Amino acid sequence: MLAAIWQGPVIRLIPVGMLLLALQRSLFVEITIAGVTIQVVLALAAAAGAAGGSERGAMAGFVLGVMYDMLEGLPIGSTAIPMTIAGTVAGFLAIIVAEPHWWLAMLFTMMGAAVGEVMVPVTRLFIGASDPFEPRLTLIVPVVAIAAGVLSPLFVPLARWCLRIRSAEWVAPPREPTL
Amino acid sequence: MAIYTVGRRRVIVALLLTLVLLLTLDLRGNPVLDRVRDGFARAMAPIESATDVITTPVSRAWNGVTQYDDLERENEALQDQLDRLIGTQATARLSVEEAAELKALLSLNSLAGIPTEVAKVVGASSNNLDQIIEIDIGRTRGVRVGMPVVNQAGLIGKITSVTDNTAKVMLITDSRYVVPVRVQAAPAADLGPTDTRPSGRTNEELEDLVATTLVTDVLASESSLPQNDGANGDPASVDDPTSGDLPVNATSTTLDPNDGESPAGALPVDGEVIETTTTTTTTTVPNLTAKEFGALEGRGRGLIPQIRFLQDNPSLAVLQEGDLVVTAGGFDSLAPPDIPIGVAVNRADRSGPGGPLLDVQPYADVTRLNFLRVVLYTPLSEVERE
Repeated sequence: MLAAIWQGPVIRLIPVGMLLLALQRSLFVEITIAGVTIQVVLALAAAAGAAGGSERGAMAGFVLGVMYDMLEGLPIGSTAIPMTIAGTVAGFLAIIVAEPHWWLAMLFTMMGAAVGEVMVPVTRLFIGASDPFEPRLTLIVPVVAIAAGVLSPLFVPLARWCLRIRSAEWVAPPREPTL
Repeated sequence: MAIYTVGRRRVIVALLLTLVLLLTLDLRGNPVLDRVRDGFARAMAPIESATDVITTPVSRAWNGVTQYDDLERENEALQDQLDRLIGTQATARLSVEEAAELKALLSLNSLAGIPTEVAKVVGASSNNLDQIIEIDIGRTRGVRVGMPVVNQAGLIGKITSVTDNTAKVMLITDSRYVVPVRVQAAPAADLGPTDTRPSGRTNEELEDLVATTLVTDVLASESSLPQNDGANGDPASVDDPTSGDLPVNATSTTLDPNDGESPAGALPVDGEVIETTTTTTTTTVPNLTAKEFGALEGRGRGLIPQIRFLQDNPSLAVLQEGDLVVTAGGFDSLAPPDIPIGVAVNRADRSGPGGPLLDVQPYADVTRLNFLRVVLYTPLSEVERE
């Protein structure tokens, strides 16, 4: 499985993830909405799910989350698990349509990001944090989700490129030979 | 579009299990993962620097648009503060020597003898839960995990992870932060911190500001403007509202122009009165009685920390608003004793054996940090182990 990750489309995801991480830690620490930090890396993980399905979304969330944890000095997995779940959830939702319109992809990205953000304190709870559920969570989750939705028209094509997802081609069935 | 299959589900489960395994290994402390983390941080450093340079104009523009009103209010407050300082500057100039002595006394005397390293804040937490900042010094400067971090106002937090050239500081407001503390009675004049606490300034600015304010306050109350004298003449009982600016363990110094050893207004031989301005400095240590010990815990962004595990025993001391909070120190504590933390601003009584809770307003404004000091302190338990 690790070989598949290494040789697969994830290679493109790493430099893009590094760039987004740098943006997350510089620009998006300053640009907050109602005091809430926009989670661009989480948004990309969810967008990958919306673009490529649950498996690719989970893989993108895995890679981006591990990078995030390593750079932030957090226990590896404490953010990667929520991001993997965010990608998975967005991908599960995307099952309902073969080629989602941009607004459907936006909706799936929003929902995936919301679930991912909720999962952050849940994961913290499992690793021993005493009271990770902040009262502001009711504000944080919608802001993060809406921001991910707003970014999705940019991030869904980016995720398609990173993960080498090609648009489905609808081919007419071959005509039966007439004698 | 991908279709959901059993095979895909297996991949997802495998990824999640891998993460759980990594999490378990990392929580138990794994040198391989630590090295990978250090390497990744080193690889990201140039990218982050470049991104920082490129995005700085954007973030400044954003801050200019969204924080203009706050900036204006702050500017007015600072202007007001500046006016007050200018008004007292002339008096302060007369007492340069006393100011120097006072500055020495005002330093965090619990940190005397413990080396510190000055650090600059270079980053903030990029998620919405953690209260963690990044500073620009690390292992190469002697910084280790667990060391306390202070600024001129008091305790800021503790080091939670270190690389060669950077370190992460968990702030006292983080919900995972806990430190043993001592609650002690405030001096009679203490009214808690003022709104003008100069947290976030540079060391030089802070020292100048604190010294000037306090010297002029002391002069105003004791020598030239005696309207605020305590009734019993006790310098500690001077009703000085700015005394809340003092770090908890600071001593108050008063100038006494009418000290018995150096009488002012002595008569010379020709009968003309010559005013002599001999002054002596008396230092009075306020009676800061320890009331109770407890554990200070952060509660997350926007909430002030709280002290738990307190036992209220009215026959000994009553915990109340205005009590001062300092680190307790101790054999296992990561922080040395007597670092000022803040002042109790609210007491919540609980039924049962839980004891009361005390809300603590930190002296330091952890939302606006710039220069910090890492106290290179090793707990006694660690020293003995070494």
